[in-house]
Amino acid sequence: MSYCVNCGVELDGSLKECPLCNTPVYNPRNPAEGVEESPFPEKKGQVEKVKRKDFGILLTVVLVAAGITCGLLNLFVFKGAAWSLFVIGACLIVWVLFIPVVIYSNLSIYTSLLLDGISIGVYLYLITFALRTDAWFFGLALPVTILAVCVAEAFTLCVKKLPCTFLTTSLYIFTAVGILCIGLEILIDWYLHGAVQLVWSAVVLTVCVIIDITLITLLSMTRLRNAVRRRLHF
Amino acid sequence: MREEKKSPSVWYKLDLSAIVYPTLQRRDFSSVYRLSVVLKEDIKPEVLQEAVNRALPRFPTYKAAIRKGLFWRYLEPNDRPGPFVQPDIKNPCMPMPFKANNRYLIRIYYFGSRISLEAHHSLGDGTGGMCVLQTITAEYLRLLGHEIDCGGFVLDIHEEPKAGELEDAYMKYANSKVRPPRPGEKTYRVRGTKEPFYTLNIIDGIMPVSRVMEVAKKYNATITEYLNAVLLYALMQKQENDFHFGLRPVRIAMPVNLRRFFPSITLRNFITMIYPGIDPRLGDYTFEEIVEHVHNYMRYYINEKFLRGDITTNASTQRNPFIRVVPLFIKDFVVRTFYTKVQDKNSSAGLTNMGPLKVPESMKPFIERFDIYMGQPFSSRTNCAIISFEDTLTINFASSIMEADVERYFFRKLVRDGIPVKIESNRA
Repeated sequence: MSYCVNCGVELDGSLKECPLCNTPVYNPRNPAEGVEESPFPEKKGQVEKVKRKDFGILLTVVLVAAGITCGLLNLFVFKGAAWSLFVIGACLIVWVLFIPVVIYSNLSIYTSLLLDGISIGVYLYLITFALRTDAWFFGLALPVTILAVCVAEAFTLCVKKLPCTFLTTSLYIFTAVGILCIGLEILIDWYLHGAVQLVWSAVVLTVCVIIDITLITLLSMTRLRNAVRRRLHF
Repeated sequence: MREEKKSPSVWYKLDLSAIVYPTLQRRDFSSVYRLSVVLKEDIKPEVLQEAVNRALPRFPTYKAAIRKGLFWRYLEPNDRPGPFVQPDIKNPCMPMPFKANNRYLIRIYYFGSRISLEAHHSLGDGTGGMCVLQTITAEYLRLLGHEIDCGGFVLDIHEEPKAGELEDAYMKYANSKVRPPRPGEKTYRVRGTKEPFYTLNIIDGIMPVSRVMEVAKKYNATITEYLNAVLLYALMQKQENDFHFGLRPVRIAMPVNLRRFFPSITLRNFITMIYPGIDPRLGDYTFEEIVEHVHNYMRYYINEKFLRGDITTNASTQRNPFIRVVPLFIKDFVVRTFYTKVQDKNSSAGLTNMGPLKVPESMKPFIERFDIYMGQPFSSRTNCAIISFEDTLTINFASSIMEADVERYFFRKLVRDGIPVKIESNRA
C-alpha cells in the first residue's frame, strides 16, 4: 500500500506510478511494490469487423451483368467497333478497387495496390483490341502503369514503415511527385523520339528538390521543427 | 422479404433520447455505457452464460437489434444466438457497430470476480441497464445455489414484461403548455492529446460514503452537489492553469433520473440533462461559493415542473409533423451537426450520479461494490460517473485523452478535504 507523494491518494498495488501526476511509486522499504495483479484486464479488445457480404454480392452481380450485356450488345446489335471492351474493363477496375472495401477486407494494402495496377494494365490492354494496334501499349502505357504502381507502393511503404508526421508525409509526397514526373517525361520522350531530353519535368524536379531540402532541414533541427509545429498546428 | 415467415410483429419505436444516440455513431465512437458489479468470488463463465440466457428474454427491449426505417430507426426483437459472455478487455465501452455481435447492442464481460454489462444508450439509461445487470447477477447467484429474492432492480424472470417497462415515458409526460428554451452557450473545452483508437483511460477513486457525506454536510450540500462542485472547481483550475485567450463558462452536463419525479417503471431512457455551472468571467470563485451556487441551482431546477418543461421542449421537435416526414439521412445529418456544433459545446464535462444502490437483502452478502462508466466521451473531455453501495463510493473517470489534469485536480481536492481516496487505473 503506497500513497502518491504529490496527490496524497492511496494507490492500488498494481500501479507503478500515480495515474494522476505520473510520479513513480517508490517505497524504499519495499522496492518490489507495484507487482500486484491489476484490477483491469491486460488484453485489448477490437471491434468485430462487419462483413458487407450482401453489398459484395450485389456489386459483383451488377458489374458482371453490365459486362455481359454490353458484350452481347456489341456482338449482336451494335457491331461497329469493339466498344464493349471499354465497359468490361471499367467494370473490372471498379470491382478490383472494391475488393479491399467489400469483398476481402483483410487484404494488405500492397497487394491491393498491385491488383489495382494490374487491373488498369488489363484495361489498357483491352483498349489495344479496340484500336487494333498495341505499339503504344508496350511502348508507353505499360511502362507508365508500372512506374505509377512502383511509386505508389514505395510511398505506402514509407508512410507505413518510416515515421509518419505532417512534415515527413509532405516530404514523401514531394519526392514521389518529382520521381513520377521525371519518369513520365523519360518514358514519353523515349516513346516519341527515341532519345531523352528533359524539359518540363526538370522544373518540377527542381521545385520538389528545393521543398525536400527545406523539409529535411526542418526535420533534422528539433528547434525549427517545433517552431513550425507550433505555428502551423490546426 | 426473406424472413417473411418469422418476421416479428413486435417492434419498438426508439424513445426520445434514444433517437439521438445512433446518429452520433462513428467508426470510432458509440454511445455505450458500462455497469459492473464486483462479487466476492471468481466468476464461472458457463454459469454466467446460463444466467444471461435465462434472464435476457425478460427484457425484450435489450434483446433487440436496431434497424433503419425510411424516417426513423426502430428496435426489433433479436433471436440470433447470443449475446455471449466474453473475457473482459482493457478498453471498455469500445464502439458497437450495429451489425456486429449478431446485432446485439449489449455485451457481457467477466474478469476475476467482476461481471460487466455494456449497453448502447439507445436501448435504455443506467436505471434500465442496472435492472438487467442485477437480474442477471441474481440469476447467476441462484444457479450457484443461493436463495435470492426479487425486488428493487432485480426483476422476476418468470413473469411477463409489463407494458410500462417498455413504454416511451417521455411522450407521456411531455405535456406542459410552454416550451422553455434550451440553454446554449459555448463553454470551456478541455484540450488534450487524443489517444489512439481503442484506448479508454480509466481512473477509479474509491472512498467511504460516510466521510464524503460528512464533508458534504460541512458545506451544507448533498453528495451530488458537493462532487459536482469539486468537478467544477477542478475544471476551473484546469482552465486557469492552461494557456487560454479568454475565459469561458465552465458547465457540467448532468443527467437527472426522471423516474424520481414521474411515476414510470420504464426500462428505457427516461433522463434529462441539467447544466450546473459557473462563469469565471464574473470573478474568482472560492470553493464555498461554487458549492453554494450548485446547491441553489439544483434546488431551483430539479423539480417536477421545470423537468416537465424541459422534456416538452425536447419532445416538440419529434412531434413536429414537418420534421417527422423528413427522410432519416437528412435528420441524421441535421442532428449530428446540431450535436457537434451546439449540444457538445454546451458543457465542459459529464457527470452522472446513480446514487446509493439498493439490492435485495439476500443478495447483499455476495456483492463487493458496483462500478459505472459513462463511456467514451464524444469529444476530448472526461466523463465522471458516481455510484455507491453500502459504505463504498466509487467515482469512475473515463477519458480518451492522455492528460489526467482534471482527475488530478478533482481527487487532490477530495484529499485536501480529508477524504481518503484509493486509486485504481488501467493506465500503463
